Amino acid sequence: MNNQLLTRTYFVLCVCFFVGSAFAREPFTAAELEAQNKARLKLVELGYNEWHGSNPSMSSNGLACGNCHPDGAASNPQTFPKWNSSMNKVVSWTAMANWCIQNPQAGKALHPDSEEMLALQAYAFAMHEGKPIQPGLATAQTKPIAVSYGKGFPSTPSGIGQDIK
Amino acid sequence: MSTSNSQEHNRRQFLGLTGKAGLSTIVASAAGINLGVFDLVYAQSGGQVQPFRFAHLTDSHLFSGEDHKFDRQLEDSIDQINSMAIKPDFVVYGGDIAQNGTEDQLVKGKKILSKLDAKLIVIPGEHDWYLDMGKVWTGLYGTNDKAYWSFNHKGVHFIGMNSILVQDFWTAKQLSPKERMTAMEMLEGPIGGKWGVGAEQLDWLKKDVANLPSNMPVVVFTHSPLWDYYPRWNFQTADAPQIREILGKFANVTSVHGHVHQTIYNKVGNMTSIGAMSTSWPWPYPPVTLKYPDSQQRRADPGNEVDGMGTLAMDFKGGSASKIVTYQPFADSLTPFLKNLKA
Repeated sequence: MNNQLLTRTYFVLCVCFFVGSAFAREPFTAAELEAQNKARLKLVELGYNEWHGSNPSMSSNGLACGNCHPDGAASNPQTFPKWNSSMNKVVSWTAMANWCIQNPQAGKALHPDSEEMLALQAYAFAMHEGKPIQPGLATAQTKPIAVSYGKGFPSTPSGIGQDIK
Repeated sequence: MSTSNSQEHNRRQFLGLTGKAGLSTIVASAAGINLGVFDLVYAQSGGQVQPFRFAHLTDSHLFSGEDHKFDRQLEDSIDQINSMAIKPDFVVYGGDIAQNGTEDQLVKGKKILSKLDAKLIVIPGEHDWYLDMGKVWTGLYGTNDKAYWSFNHKGVHFIGMNSILVQDFWTAKQLSPKERMTAMEMLEGPIGGKWGVGAEQLDWLKKDVANLPSNMPVVVFTHSPLWDYYPRWNFQTADAPQIREILGKFANVTSVHGHVHQTIYNKVGNMTSIGAMSTSWPWPYPPVTLKYPDSQQRRADPGNEVDGMGTLAMDFKGGSASKIVTYQPFADSLTPFLKNLKA
């Protein structure tokens, strides 16, 4: 009897636990999800602007990320951490981005935890959405994601020229 | 050492014999400077073509200010062309001498290019054009105040055209010249849309080739490719089909273009298309399937400033062999694909 009681109690407790975890937090509302995505896209937009030269500290010779990486191409965030032959070690994507800022762009490195760096990541990662995570080598050409119009992520069009949707 | 051996030795030094990461590195690592050589072989049935070489430089993207690395990279390329054992009869510049189209950048380019020993002829790129709609460029580099031209040389007809003309997006929105230029500077910029040569140049081209014999070799230079490679980055020319149709009567047409900053090869009908590397920086390959994937360079090494960059030289070899137009990039280190082309 005691064993049966214990079993039942255990069962009830388990059910309560799982039900409790499922409802530990209300599901995100549509408005909350929209706010979360909006916050992310705000960073993506900031990253897009930085990518194309909005932050003067990132370059002293006029070069921006976008000069070599149109639509974020060949920035390959899905392949990091990976070996970097210039640094002779395995590095993070942010370290690679700072290497580019300091060398080809002859600029000042961003703090790895700064909002500016987070924005660069937000843009580069957004442009590689759907690519499998594939830590790898640097030698092969990798194909970027095809972009049909606009900036490649949800953004308000300028309404100028072909930028209408 | 005989003269010919000496020349061959120099040429091999210049081409470079070791390669670790693809076509561009072969040259960059061996010569220390960004230069690639293409041999283009043409032999028509009548054997009317006299052997000669010309060189092609493009996409230097000079920024303002002194002692910029892109200035040095262009200067290096010019030094290499000037020191070629087989001198080019002329040099074609394929557009984008400037980055932001400003007068100081275009003047700086003119000054650096004036160091070329060979005669220079130039077509514009979008970076040269959209600040003042080509006014300064035309004054410095235009041919008879035009951005398009043609001439015959040793049995070959050469054509250059301005392929970067877009529809007016600035007047209605009252954009400043700088805003217009900025919109056109970004390769993936969503504003400018697809560009082309336009009606005036198409009419001119029709008249230009109307009386040429169909067995005359034709080489046409544009900034952008004359086929739809990747329109989003303007790796295209909107009226390329019309250009190909006008040139359709010729047995062999070679199109040489810049803008893509990479080696790219294609054949469309009678047109062999060769995309040249830049002297500034390499673009990545876009997300499209290539018809000739074996001609693709490996990804440039970001740690090597001149990897993935280069200039282009072509040899026209006379004679009467019945080969079609073909070319040999970096002849000492061909990929299997290019070795097959050579045969």
